[in-house]
Amino acid sequence: MRFLKKKNRKVLNLHTSLRSQSIEPNPEDGLNKSLQQNIQTLKDTLGKSSDIIIREIRFGKEGTIKAGVIYTDGLTDTPSLQNFILETLMLDIKEIDLHKKSPEKNLISVLKDVALTVGEIKEETSFDAILTSLLSGDTIILLDGYAEGLIISNRQWAERGVTEPTAQTVVRGPREGFTENLRINTALIRRKIKDPKLWMETKTIGTRTKTDIAIVYIHDIADDKIVKEVNLRLDQINIDGILESGNIEGLIQDSTYSPFSTIYNTERPDVVAAALLEGRIAILVDGTPFVLLVPALFIQFFQSPEDYYERTVFGSLIRILRFIAFIISLLAPALFIAVTTFHQSMLPPALLISLAAQREGVPFPAFVEALIMEVTFEILREAGIRMPRSIGTAMSIVGAFVIGTAAVEAGLISAMMVIVVSITAISNFVSPSYEMAIAVRILRFVFMALAASFGFFGIMVGLIALILHLCSLRSFGIPYMSPIAPFNISDQKDTFIVLPIWKMINRPHLMNQKNRIRQQHSAAAKPAPPENKKDEGSS
Amino acid sequence: MNKCLFAILILSLFLTGCWDRRELNELAIMLAMGVEKVEEEYQVFAQVVVPSEVSMKGSTGSTKVTLYSAKGETVYEAFRKMTKDSPRKIYPGHLKILVMGEELAKEGIGESLDLLSRDWEIRPDFYVVVTKDTSPSEILNTTTNLESIPANKMFNSLQMSEKAWSGTKSITLDELIADLISDGKQAVITGVQLIGNSKIGSSKKNVEMVSPAASIQYDHLSVFKGDKLVGWLTEEETIAYSYVTDSVKTSVRRISCPEGGDATIAIEKSHSDVKGYIRKGNPEVDITIKVEGNIGSVECKMDLNDLGTIAELEKIYEKEKIAIINKTIDTLQKKYKTDIFGFGEAIHRANPKEWNKIKDHWEEEFSNVTVNVNVDLKILSTGTVNNSFLEEIKD
Repeated sequence: MRFLKKKNRKVLNLHTSLRSQSIEPNPEDGLNKSLQQNIQTLKDTLGKSSDIIIREIRFGKEGTIKAGVIYTDGLTDTPSLQNFILETLMLDIKEIDLHKKSPEKNLISVLKDVALTVGEIKEETSFDAILTSLLSGDTIILLDGYAEGLIISNRQWAERGVTEPTAQTVVRGPREGFTENLRINTALIRRKIKDPKLWMETKTIGTRTKTDIAIVYIHDIADDKIVKEVNLRLDQINIDGILESGNIEGLIQDSTYSPFSTIYNTERPDVVAAALLEGRIAILVDGTPFVLLVPALFIQFFQSPEDYYERTVFGSLIRILRFIAFIISLLAPALFIAVTTFHQSMLPPALLISLAAQREGVPFPAFVEALIMEVTFEILREAGIRMPRSIGTAMSIVGAFVIGTAAVEAGLISAMMVIVVSITAISNFVSPSYEMAIAVRILRFVFMALAASFGFFGIMVGLIALILHLCSLRSFGIPYMSPIAPFNISDQKDTFIVLPIWKMINRPHLMNQKNRIRQQHSAAAKPAPPENKKDEGSS
Repeated sequence: MNKCLFAILILSLFLTGCWDRRELNELAIMLAMGVEKVEEEYQVFAQVVVPSEVSMKGSTGSTKVTLYSAKGETVYEAFRKMTKDSPRKIYPGHLKILVMGEELAKEGIGESLDLLSRDWEIRPDFYVVVTKDTSPSEILNTTTNLESIPANKMFNSLQMSEKAWSGTKSITLDELIADLISDGKQAVITGVQLIGNSKIGSSKKNVEMVSPAASIQYDHLSVFKGDKLVGWLTEEETIAYSYVTDSVKTSVRRISCPEGGDATIAIEKSHSDVKGYIRKGNPEVDITIKVEGNIGSVECKMDLNDLGTIAELEKIYEKEKIAIINKTIDTLQKKYKTDIFGFGEAIHRANPKEWNKIKDHWEEEFSNVTVNVNVDLKILSTGTVNNSFLEEIKD
């Protein structure tokens, strides 16, 4: 055995030595002085990719200087390439003696400092860096006889503009949503918070996708520990590709198997701005409009940006309504199953008889009946999301007909069950956060099973387990259930009800320890008619 | 391995299901129950709702309830035997009314009530009634109008008549049992009668008529000694009983006008206070009844603008009321010799020491108790008019 291993090792060594000999020059080294060599290396590395354009030109007084202009078609702004690079090189500087302009006779720096009329430009000697820039959409200029290249940033590609977010819509509030472009997204945040302390750290994650990621926070509000923790978790990622912020979420979240999400995501710049002002940290990922916010608390999934834009009484009522809807969508089918199969004595006689009348001839137990309806609804909902929009109406007719009418008419399902499932489904849509809605969808089935096996006792045990689980969750070190558990009286102003904005003097306690004051505490903060104020002053 | 074990444990929970799991369509919802004694055996009746007939959609037009019955040595045995006939297990959780046979009541109801207070599914908040001159089977067989489920009709009309007329007395099972075990108070149960033809009454024809051939009516109050029925009170005596035991909510009372003719007093509020004493070794009871009411109707000539007339009416009412109450108490003291008013309890409350001495022979003592009745009526208003338009009618 040992002998075999030795032999294998030898063979391996042979292979590696062979490979290093065959590929020459090695792209991991710096640039070669020969233009021809560099272009060959590029071609070897990139294969036959048709979107890489290599344009070899000659310029200078007698056309003596050989150069290569390399760019990625589709990612580069072609008009600026033609007007400011090719035209400059090939027409405008033909008559100038370039060598005279530069004392060191370094053509690269002459081109960079004197000739090219473009904004962002830099020298680069590393072959890797040049490749990355090229594939990001920059234009590369290589000169014969120089082991340096110029990287000119003139990226430009087709993209979606800033449109209204589709996931979190509001009646009142800004209509702009994030786009797929990281720069536009950071600009949208910067436009809302023009504070020098708004810091944006950038990272590149994904060994192949090289996705840009920005960590955004307000330096003197956000907790340094959490910023450090975010950086640490992001640095630990070693993966070939990041395609959406969901990938990042999956790699840095606290608990994978919990139905509850410990990272909040949003498409809305105003939500991100509000979160930043509270001390949260935003993680922006290039290529997706969904921005991650950490730490995320349970209560955050019940907060809609509109709560703060609308009048405070209405905001509070809507917040309470959302909690009621949460409980309905979590427990309604379970309670119905429990009451009708175990606790019939809890129903008023008239209701019991009416329910019993509806159940006459229904061939399934209540649990199976509820399960059929819930699963049918989940199928319809999933179909509604995935299928082409144009078939939508057809499906809604079939869905409503199948669920609503036909099943009851056929005597397979009792009418009350349709009502229960419908109210459950509608309540589920009240949730302003898709993540919380999903969690409830999963847990609903667990509670239904518990109710079918043990009645109210089972539901109670399930609720206790659920609360224990929620209290055990942490999001980046912050207890998930705060400010309910651990209880914090001053943070209750934005938990079950929404107090007027002039009462929100402090930022949430757990999130930030260093800069709590949000507005100066003064009597003047409360709006009052001017006469009253005068009276107070004189008396 | 641990996770696997945990998963199996969790999954095994769903294999069992609780032992008392029942679907709604496996229940025979019993709303009324009847107990009768036939030849040393109990006969138990269960009036069960037919849900599909109650619903608007699936109704085929047949009766909304069906009656199951079975005989057994004990009530529980008979109750379970009913499944021989009924396709579903009788579910007694929503029992609204229990109809006891008169014969059974005369022999004693104690034994038959035990099951009903013991079974965990039965809530002791249903009404208990006793049939008079009829049997539970006849009562429970009668179809009813307006409330299509007879049990509901019986429950609601007892509740309503007690509230608006006070000529009946609703007794729930727990009240009844409390009375049965009390030393100083005997039980009463409202009587129920079948008026009309019981044969047609049990068919659907009964409810197709404007005035049904047979109807269920509450009348008379049965008086118990121990758990045995000893006699019946008339309607007037029942009202007097209600006044004394402070169970009048609203009622109406005819009185005679000062100069002949009738007037009606609508009682809006009544409060009675029964106080017991031992005076010179003899038990004595003071009953103070404070009544508030309005003049409901005037069918005679009198001047209501005169405050004196109102005071006079109050006097007349008080006098008549005292007479009726005294008569009722007299009947019970002399004829039935049973303390349904709870005078014993009043004395117990006032003087426990003396009570302990007399409680063993309270039955004889009760007949000799001196009762002082005092009624105080306050007429609050005369309705929307003062003097009756009858004054204006020229003869």
